[in-house]
Amino acid sequence: MTFVATIRVLPKSEVRDPQGEAVRGALRSLGLSVSEVRTGKEIVVTFEATDEKAAREAVRVMGTELLANPVIEDYAYELKEAAPA
Amino acid sequence: MTRVAILRYPGTWSERDFEHALSLVPGVECHTLWHEDADLAGYDAAIVPGGFTYGDYVRAGAIAKLSPATRALRRFAEAGKLVLGSCNGFQILCEAGLLPGALVRNGGLEFRCDWVHMRVESDATPWTTGLRGAILRMPIAHGEGCWVADDQTLADVEARGQVVFRYTDERGGATPAANPNGSLANIAGVCNEGRNVVGLMPHPERCSEALLGGTDGYRVLANLAPALAGTAPAIYR
Repeated sequence: MTFVATIRVLPKSEVRDPQGEAVRGALRSLGLSVSEVRTGKEIVVTFEATDEKAAREAVRVMGTELLANPVIEDYAYELKEAAPA
Repeated sequence: MTRVAILRYPGTWSERDFEHALSLVPGVECHTLWHEDADLAGYDAAIVPGGFTYGDYVRAGAIAKLSPATRALRRFAEAGKLVLGSCNGFQILCEAGLLPGALVRNGGLEFRCDWVHMRVESDATPWTTGLRGAILRMPIAHGEGCWVADDQTLADVEARGQVVFRYTDERGGATPAANPNGSLANIAGVCNEGRNVVGLMPHPERCSEALLGGTDGYRVLANLAPALAGTAPAIYR
């Protein structure tokens, strides 16, 4: 089965996010009353797995071994079965 | 003769500088090894130089940690051999879990290319023998050198004497102004619990002869020969 995982990685709440602070300043320069900005990244992975359980285990490995660093980042994801071609 | 392996990943750029700096240390022989087939058998020490491995994609050092060389390095470190990571090498060692904490974007968002001072906080590593309390002046060049850790890890690292280098002013004061990147507690370099693995953001290989504007890097690298020849604390023999 083909799955698509959309994995979102964000800095942990207690980790300072200088990029988010810079974006906050820029958004405020547009006249908007922005109180906080957190920046991260979204990674979309298409992959094969035998079933949903195996797919979730694969995403766990992707998240913990490479896409997020548990010291500074959290990740969350959505998993979908790929639409048939 | 101390045999030193210098690991080169795609995007490593400081390996030639390390080769040159180590050529100045008597009794040291070094070889640069390509990451895909790095065989560390027969080496006493390994160096992970600076650069931008894999373009810093995902996070600085994140992809390099999955390289065969880093797996070999983990076994090498577990065997008690000496490992030094500088700049991107420090980032790789943290990503690989060989050192505590992580390195994130500099607090001021600036890429910092400058000379800094740092105090040697521990001489209980083979890389800093005899240097405790010394104020070293070294160059830095990084955008992601802000060392962070959770409160418990920071407390543990301090309590166990794993802080090896701390950014200070030239008189040794660990002031906010002397901190180039926002690192917690002005931390510039740490070691593992076994003290054989050390990482730091500054570049000892770029200040190992007077022609380059400083020789304090040599004071660190020169430890390689005597440390392994038996003058270091018994734990490293």
